[in-house]
Amino acid sequence: MIADLRSIPSSVELRAPQAAPLLSVDRLKAYYKVKLFGIDREVRAVDDVSLKINRNEIYGLAGESSSGKSSLIKTIAGAIRPPLRVVEGSVRFSFKDGERDIYKLSPQELSAIRWSHLSYIMQGSMSVLNPVRRIKHAFADFALPHVAAKGADFTHLVEGHLKRLHLDPAVLQAYPHELSGGMRQRVTIALATICSPEFIIADEPTTALDVIVQKGVLAMIREIQQEFGSSVLFVTHDMAVHANLTDRLGIMYAGRLVEEGRTRDVFKRPLHPYTAHLISSLPRIGDEAPKKALEGSPPSLADPPPGCRFHPRCPLAIDICRREAPPMVELLPGHRTACHVAQADPARVRPVA
Amino acid sequence: MKPNLLDVEHVNKIFTRGGFVSRRVTHAVNDVSFSLAADKPEVFTIIGESGSGKTTLAGMILNSLTPTGGQIRFRGRDLREIRSRRDRLEFMSHVQAIFQNPFDAFNPLKRVDRYLFSAAKRFMECRTPAAAAERVDESLHKVGLSLAEVQGRYPHEMSGGQLQRVAIARALVSNPSLIVADEPVSMIDASLRMTVINLFKKLRDEFGVSIIYITHDLATAYYISDRLIIMQKGRVVEGGDARTVLAAPQHPYSIKLRQAVLSVDDAWRDDSFTGGMPATAT
Ligand SMILES: Nc1ncnc2c1ncn2[C@@H]1O[C@H](COP(=O)(O)OP(=O)(O)OP(=O)(O)O)[C@@H](O)[C@H]1O
Ligand SMILES: Nc1ncnc2c1ncn2[C@@H]1O[C@H](COP(=O)(O)OP(=O)(O)O)[C@@H](O)[C@H]1O
Ligand code: SF4
Ligand SMILES: [Mg+2]
Ligand SMILES: [Mg+2]
Repeated sequence: MIADLRSIPSSVELRAPQAAPLLSVDRLKAYYKVKLFGIDREVRAVDDVSLKINRNEIYGLAGESSSGKSSLIKTIAGAIRPPLRVVEGSVRFSFKDGERDIYKLSPQELSAIRWSHLSYIMQGSMSVLNPVRRIKHAFADFALPHVAAKGADFTHLVEGHLKRLHLDPAVLQAYPHELSGGMRQRVTIALATICSPEFIIADEPTTALDVIVQKGVLAMIREIQQEFGSSVLFVTHDMAVHANLTDRLGIMYAGRLVEEGRTRDVFKRPLHPYTAHLISSLPRIGDEAPKKALEGSPPSLADPPPGCRFHPRCPLAIDICRREAPPMVELLPGHRTACHVAQADPARVRPVA
Repeated sequence: MKPNLLDVEHVNKIFTRGGFVSRRVTHAVNDVSFSLAADKPEVFTIIGESGSGKTTLAGMILNSLTPTGGQIRFRGRDLREIRSRRDRLEFMSHVQAIFQNPFDAFNPLKRVDRYLFSAAKRFMECRTPAAAAERVDESLHKVGLSLAEVQGRYPHEMSGGQLQRVAIARALVSNPSLIVADEPVSMIDASLRMTVINLFKKLRDEFGVSIIYITHDLATAYYISDRLIIMQKGRVVEGGDARTVLAAPQHPYSIKLRQAVLSVDDAWRDDSFTGGMPATAT
């Protein structure tokens, strides 16, 4: 049997509060500049997002598809390409060997911190493995340039890393197609963490996997985080994964961060109507009550509704919601929300089942 | 006596790959049997890990793969007898499929309403555009959409949940009695997932459609299934009333599956946050 994933003391509680956050994202706006029917349009995929991620924590990011999760983390990783552009704001890391402002680095400086400081496990990251080359070549291609060890020492390092992650070094001789989906995903995680990065970004790394394999991959991520003391930014729309893995949780809706807090607080006491709905509509084994789906569909980010972007679907919407975008406000310790109604009276936000 | 809607009897599928030297034989489906009654629409769920043979079984039920052994009958008729174009079309109008990724099911350069219209022409012999439009609009209403909302739109202009509903509407155009849905919600997020799941319930309860629901997601399976089977390496290891099986699985594999489900309620069960780190063994 696989044991509980959430087995370490919550780092949020243990950390000295004055420690500088590893990542500070400040008023970040990143838009896709696209032509739609011949007209220049901006898709505001990341619109005024501020957040901080501490050392040694797993920060979860949730939100429905096309809410901007992938765009946000690509921007954080400095991995954006046109038509996506940073319009405003900053992304700063304070690594052990110094501060880095991602959008003030030269391409050389950026590629120097990749792998060693910051690594990125992409959505569908199986594609980093070349189908006609054995796994050992992938390690040589990606990691060799970033480590001091060469030749036999390098092989030794890779084998040691795999063993630490409970992977049989024999996988190095395999071709990607010979491995199961779950095994391939673990190999890509091993690849991304070989240089013990301080910050790991993972975008939906378990979405295509079945429950048993998923649990193994999640346990591996938790273990890496503990072993290396890394911070992890973990993106998925699967709320059960967040509940079991992440220390803090941010909820995105239509390009904005709408709620953030300790994962447990967000689940137990959601302070945004969208989150409240999301949590109360989750089906559970043993629960036969009918669950209502959210009416309507997410807004177009090329032409988002004015005011609060959730207002067309929000059961609590009032007049001001249609006019003014709610700011993100800390209502309870460490628990922020962007909702006019909650800011006036948090008790109004309740599960909607 | 009226024949069953579907009979799957001792069905096997063996794939052979490679040449003489390195022949690899996969027993993808191994002696699987179950029946769906004609007069009792239900959600019948197939659960199992990756590679356990679910999609292969679905392919045989859809008559796009031929069993290596055993027999599948739809309304009493052996699927092997269905060969002529006319018979195949007739069969497809009764048995429709929905797949995992709605974005794969639609060509990005083709307007989504065209799929619905071509289904109306193909299966319902709608001769005039007005008759087809009426038919299409009716199907779209069953999924909570309308032709006015969908007309002229391309796949990228719709959300994943909308697109999956359009895929279901397309499947409904021919008034099928059976829908085979292979992981229809695994690419969809939590809030939209319930839209699709509730829709299956409605199709069963209001339109009498039986649904074979293939999934990894035990929580939605619990929520909508009447009966289920659990597959491992091509075999059915356990089956029966869905809620009974999921509440108290008996077979070791089913128990393992049940225990791997991440539950929101159990996440903070152990308030001390102590205990050993799990080994990543599966
Ligand atoms: N066309 C084929 N040729 C050879 N082997 C195949 C073929 N299709 C499927 N298989 C094999 O049959 C087994 C069952 O595959 P199947 O796709 O039915 O699994 P599944 O239960 O649907 O898995 P998943 O949950 O990943 O979709 C696997 O071992 C697979 O590799
Ligand atoms: N290459 C692109 N060009 C234009 N728009 C894009 C591109 N990639 C994503 N978008 C748009 O940006 C928004 C956010 O997408 P994304 O960040 O992928 O969301 P998520 O990861 O939450 O599903 C969506 O409206 C999407 O359509
Ligand atoms: S600001 Fe208004 S519309 Fe937005 S979530 Fe709060 S109550 Fe609803
Ligand atoms: Mg994404
Ligand atoms: Mg499958």
